[in-house]
Amino acid sequence: MTENKRTGRNALFLAVVVTGAVAFFAWAGGLGAESAEPVPKALPGEGAEEFPAPFEPLPKTITPCRACHGPEKDFKINWTREEVLRVHTNIQLHHGGVRVWCLDCHSAKEREYLVPLSDGTPITFEHSYELCGKCHGTKYRDWRNGIHGKRIGYWNGPKTYHLCTHCHNPHRPLFRPIKPMPPPEKPRTPKTSDARH
Amino acid sequence: MSERKGDSRDREGLHLNRRSFLTGTVGMAGMLAVSACDWQAFVQQHFTRMSPEQIKDTLQRLEADYKAKYGKNFVVGAEGPIEGTLYGYALDIQRCIGCRKCVHACVEENNLTRDPEIQYIRVLRFENGTMDLEESDIYYDADRVPQEGYYYIPVQCQHCENSRCEQACPIGATWKEPDGIVVVDYNWCIGCRYCLAACPYMARWFNWTDPVIPEDKLNTDTHYLGNRPRMRNVMEKCTFCIHRVRKGLYPACVEACPVGARKFGNLLDPNSEISWILKNKRVFRLKEDLNTQPKFYYFFST
Amino acid sequence: MRSGFVSGAIERLLKGPPLYYAWLAFLSVLVSVGVLAYAWQLKNGLVVTGMTSYVSWGLYIGNFTFLVGVAAAAVLLIIPAYLYDFGPIKEVVIVAEALAVSAILMVLMFVTADLGRPDRFWHLIPFLGMLNIPRSMLSWDLVVVNGYLVLSLTIAGYLLYKAYQRQEPNMSLILPFILLSIPWAVSIHTVTAFLYNGLPARPFWNASILAPRFLASAFCSGPALIILIYQIVRRYTKFHVTNEALFKIAELICYAMAINLFLLGAELFKEIYSDTLHLAPLKYLYSGLHGKDALVPWMWTALVFNVIAFLLFLVPTSRKNFKTLNLGCLLMIVGIWIEKGLGLVVPGFIPAPLGEVWEYAPTITEILVMVGIWGVGILVFTLLLKIIIPIETGEFTVDNQVTA
Repeated sequence: MTENKRTGRNALFLAVVVTGAVAFFAWAGGLGAESAEPVPKALPGEGAEEFPAPFEPLPKTITPCRACHGPEKDFKINWTREEVLRVHTNIQLHHGGVRVWCLDCHSAKEREYLVPLSDGTPITFEHSYELCGKCHGTKYRDWRNGIHGKRIGYWNGPKTYHLCTHCHNPHRPLFRPIKPMPPPEKPRTPKTSDARH
Repeated sequence: MSERKGDSRDREGLHLNRRSFLTGTVGMAGMLAVSACDWQAFVQQHFTRMSPEQIKDTLQRLEADYKAKYGKNFVVGAEGPIEGTLYGYALDIQRCIGCRKCVHACVEENNLTRDPEIQYIRVLRFENGTMDLEESDIYYDADRVPQEGYYYIPVQCQHCENSRCEQACPIGATWKEPDGIVVVDYNWCIGCRYCLAACPYMARWFNWTDPVIPEDKLNTDTHYLGNRPRMRNVMEKCTFCIHRVRKGLYPACVEACPVGARKFGNLLDPNSEISWILKNKRVFRLKEDLNTQPKFYYFFST
Repeated sequence: MRSGFVSGAIERLLKGPPLYYAWLAFLSVLVSVGVLAYAWQLKNGLVVTGMTSYVSWGLYIGNFTFLVGVAAAAVLLIIPAYLYDFGPIKEVVIVAEALAVSAILMVLMFVTADLGRPDRFWHLIPFLGMLNIPRSMLSWDLVVVNGYLVLSLTIAGYLLYKAYQRQEPNMSLILPFILLSIPWAVSIHTVTAFLYNGLPARPFWNASILAPRFLASAFCSGPALIILIYQIVRRYTKFHVTNEALFKIAELICYAMAINLFLLGAELFKEIYSDTLHLAPLKYLYSGLHGKDALVPWMWTALVFNVIAFLLFLVPTSRKNFKTLNLGCLLMIVGIWIEKGLGLVVPGFIPAPLGEVWEYAPTITEILVMVGIWGVGILVFTLLLKIIIPIETGEFTVDNQVTA
């Protein structure tokens, strides 16, 4: 029983985090500048199924950066790709090869934000999709219209959908191939076994 | 082939002895007797001819039958179409990775028989560069998908506007509902399999024997025209999860797809996802030259 | 008088030479075996057959198709008999009608055997059930086949009745029915062809040539059976059939087979020369597809049989020699049974709509049910003849109801 309770509690916590992110997005969506497309509204609760997101949409703690960077400590930073990645040992960067590196997404000056929009509006981690949409415009447009990515819930009502980082690890966004489910049974014929189809 | 006495699954195990003679005559009389005993099932009219009270009685009778057979409380609904809807489906073959999660979600949601196995969704694997159906493979097995050099097209009932199965059925047991779903009245079907011959998409399946559904996997939330457990010797097929979509939910296959390749919605709603796809993406349909006018579209998202 | 007929008929059915009893016993065995097999099928469902969702029609529907052709062919004899007043053939019409009735009964039995839920038969009855006229070709087929049965029974019954009464039939009364039966017979087989033809999902069947081919092959197999049957009847009863009549029928068969072979050639040309993917079913039949070639030997056998039979019928000396004539008839019946039975039904399903190739072979249960149904048909035909022949020869009439 306790095992189930613990799992239940974890699930609830995850649901709250996801819900919070989604609700924030829904509110923040109104602040977005670029498209005239109607913002898809997603409400939590009814009809929303819990989808096992492969990745956490948000980093584990918002500001680990302060541990090393900030007013108290000020490293002389060697801002090359190799050096940054050497220091941040837990990051394996496979995103666009040499075209993209850490500071293309992470704000150098303000660690708790990502690179800002062209008008200076900061992009928070909760709105990371705005950043993804800078380069991946067509995917972003498709996603806003419900074509890219998965949605569950009501086709004529509240839906649950996922942020980019729900499915794509921003440091390694390409999907790895997965194990498929087994093939169908072959029908019974004179030459195959007597599996009945 | 080993001789298993009395095993009713033997397809060639016909023993010409007294036992089989008795079995035979009893079987024949039994079949008629069963129909006669269950006279309500025998005289049951076509679904579209029944009055609301008759439908209610039928649903109650079916729920009692299922409870007796499976020991679970089934809900057999008969929700009508939502006004102003015509369902459309679009599948993104740029995204499909051939994982077959949709196939198995459908099997569970719709109480499909596991032995013999019926699967409404067939995932075809093509080699890059051809769409020749004869060269496709449905039985691919791989360690990981998607495989290099291949792409995948899942096929299920296309819910044609000009459906050949509806035209073929000699007794009108399959028809297109006002919201576009092509349904089967399992209690009306006589099992002639003409509709199976008529379907160009291999979408219709016949129960050659009694369906077998694992007890713990039964879905008790059902619809008369949809996923309620079927019986032997009748046809069945994908119903766009009629028990879900008429309550506003997505079909099970849409929700199961891990890459979001399946899209569903109301073709009559200009703001729906499906309408957006038809307006903005390049779509095609299978075997369009047959003029079946399917409502199942395929598109490329990039 | 009616009771005299009935009691006389029953007496005729029950009495006969030892060969008659042996024949009935043999047929009864076939029928019993078929009944047992069918009961087995009812008990376990259609899974006891070799059919799958890939090849969902098989032996039963193949026989159904062949027998509709046989039933329709009775009309081939009526046309010359009544339209051209060709005397020698008039005498054979009544037996041909009996053959038609037996064949139609077999047709109905094969369709019933193929149904998954025969207990729901009443769904097919118009107004009570929900017959999908005019859209479904299968509903049309049931209507015309049952209508043809009624028509044949009416015509044969009336002619027999008049013969029994030793009266001339009133042609102005019966001729309209006879004339109606000509297009009706054509229609039963055309509608059967249409039910295959009208399926765009199956390119092998969706060819305009199908209906003419059906009729041409029907007009070969049916009369060939009649030629053989008449010789048997002539041998064991006092019924008289002139050789001239038989040779005339053979001549008509020759024309029909010529057309049949020509149409086959036309079909082969179209598919082989055009060389599209639709060649696949023919490839499956005559050379195998992706290594699956179960029907190849059968189809070549059928083709060889048909060509030899055609030549035997074409050459007058072989046509008028009973040894070669009978051989030709047998070859033709078997050849067309293969071509129109499994050779028509199975390749329609190969390849399947999504490209898969799965073969079919009938199971023992199916074969036994088929044997049983043929047994019933032949039994009915025998019993009908046991009454018809004595009436036609004058032995069993209203004047003399005592058996000789």
